[in-house]
Amino acid sequence: MKHLLLKLEPVIWLLFGAGLSVGTMLLTGFVLVVGLAIPMGLVPSEALDYERAHALASNGFGRLVLLGLIALPLWKGAHHVRSLSVDFNGGDRDGVVGVLLYTAAALCSLIAIVAVVRL
Amino acid sequence: MAESKKMMRVEITRFDPDRDEVPKTQEYEIPVQDDWKVLDAINYIKDEVDPSISHRWSCRMAVCGSCGMMLNGEPKLTCKTPLSDYDETIKIEPLANFPIVRDLVVDMDGFMDKFRKVKPWIVRAKARAEDMEDLNEKGTFSQSPDQLATFKQFSMCINCLLCYAACPVIANEPEFIGPAAIALGHRYNLDSRDEGQAERNAIFRGEGTVFSCSFANECSEVCPKNVDPAAAVNQAKLAAVVDWAKGLVLPREGA
Amino acid sequence: MTRAAHPEAMAPPKKGPTRTAPPQIPGSWWGAPRIRTYLLFGATGVVYFLAGTVVLHLVWALGKGPDAWAKVMDDLSHPLYLAFHALTLISVLFVGIRAFGTMMPKMQPRGGPLPVLAPGLVRGLIYSAWAALTLVFSLILAGKI
Repeated sequence: MKHLLLKLEPVIWLLFGAGLSVGTMLLTGFVLVVGLAIPMGLVPSEALDYERAHALASNGFGRLVLLGLIALPLWKGAHHVRSLSVDFNGGDRDGVVGVLLYTAAALCSLIAIVAVVRL
Repeated sequence: MAESKKMMRVEITRFDPDRDEVPKTQEYEIPVQDDWKVLDAINYIKDEVDPSISHRWSCRMAVCGSCGMMLNGEPKLTCKTPLSDYDETIKIEPLANFPIVRDLVVDMDGFMDKFRKVKPWIVRAKARAEDMEDLNEKGTFSQSPDQLATFKQFSMCINCLLCYAACPVIANEPEFIGPAAIALGHRYNLDSRDEGQAERNAIFRGEGTVFSCSFANECSEVCPKNVDPAAAVNQAKLAAVVDWAKGLVLPREGA
Repeated sequence: MTRAAHPEAMAPPKKGPTRTAPPQIPGSWWGAPRIRTYLLFGATGVVYFLAGTVVLHLVWALGKGPDAWAKVMDDLSHPLYLAFHALTLISVLFVGIRAFGTMMPKMQPRGGPLPVLAPGLVRGLIYSAWAALTLVFSLILAGKI
């Protein structure tokens, strides 16, 4: 397991780095408006009614942004949880934990691709 | 008129492999002076109270890297740390994450092994000076102050191993090359005279990979010489990724 | 109080002539303020992973049609969702400050074609980009653009 992960570390780290930087930047605006302002009534919910939301999401750029908004935090999350596992005496189980977490991130990323394609 | 000296309790880890199953703590109550460093207290104990204590020290001025120990749970150089930083008690333990040889002395061989792995020397493609094209008229390398500035900070390491004692990855992943070794390898990668980047980047991506670093930044927090190994390790990650990406696109000759 | 590190931590390549005691970690390590901050930073990984799945859930609903979308937007008012998103906001701010403020300025490559900028400048540049992107994205989502 550890050897498989060694080969993939550069890719994993790039995805993690993108999640840390781009993911954080995208998530901030998203959580402010969609997660908090709209549900709390600070912004009218018509702003993201089905027509507008679908129009925004289904143009090429929108799909890309949404894919990033889903996948990048997943990879940042998976990598950080793996680090946490190591910090808690997890050196020996790192191979297994890493493969499990990255597989989860990869599966969800695949589903994300399907989700943005079928919009 | 005799001044009343301040007394301090010093707790020291003791371990004699011939006598002790496991390390234990021994307490000493000693008079201390205001201007002492922690090393002075340990030397006082060895000179006046208990000559059986074993500890490493040498220069007394934070350049040799011998006297690293855990002081109340934090890795520090005992020659550099004022005793007045501590109130009535100080607990002195050997460096964390290292096998303990005796009392406050740890086994450094594991570090020396990791150190060697990164090829901490100038690597040249051609072995003989006659074949090197970038030598100057005197037959030596020229290096500008700017080129020196690129790596100088990372060359200041005194191998005190405080960074290894502080690193959560070193505590849990035995193969990890570690802060000082990676910083030194990166120092050579940045050196304008060196041509060994490809070899070192391959080592940085192999067993003990730089990517095991989780950027806790503890190494840089405890470094007494401001080497900032965390910066070196994470710059090394970037360089290793660029190297890997180039390797995907361009086939490498040799190496 | 003192805990064991990994038994093989910093082990020598060959066993030495005397028996050594296994490597230790001080008991105070877990409670140290810097370490707590670092572990919290790692723990935001859980929040981020969940946030990614929440967005996936939303996008999937959007793809299903107007009814599914209306329902999911309605669900977002549930106190649990609001609490999670408040937690996500705190997490992204915490991660952003640590990543953009302390990590990225240190990672600037040296000796290459790009100049090495002062940490304060790098911080300022990245924070500005973060603020600008957030503003634009927020305005678009809120229907102001």
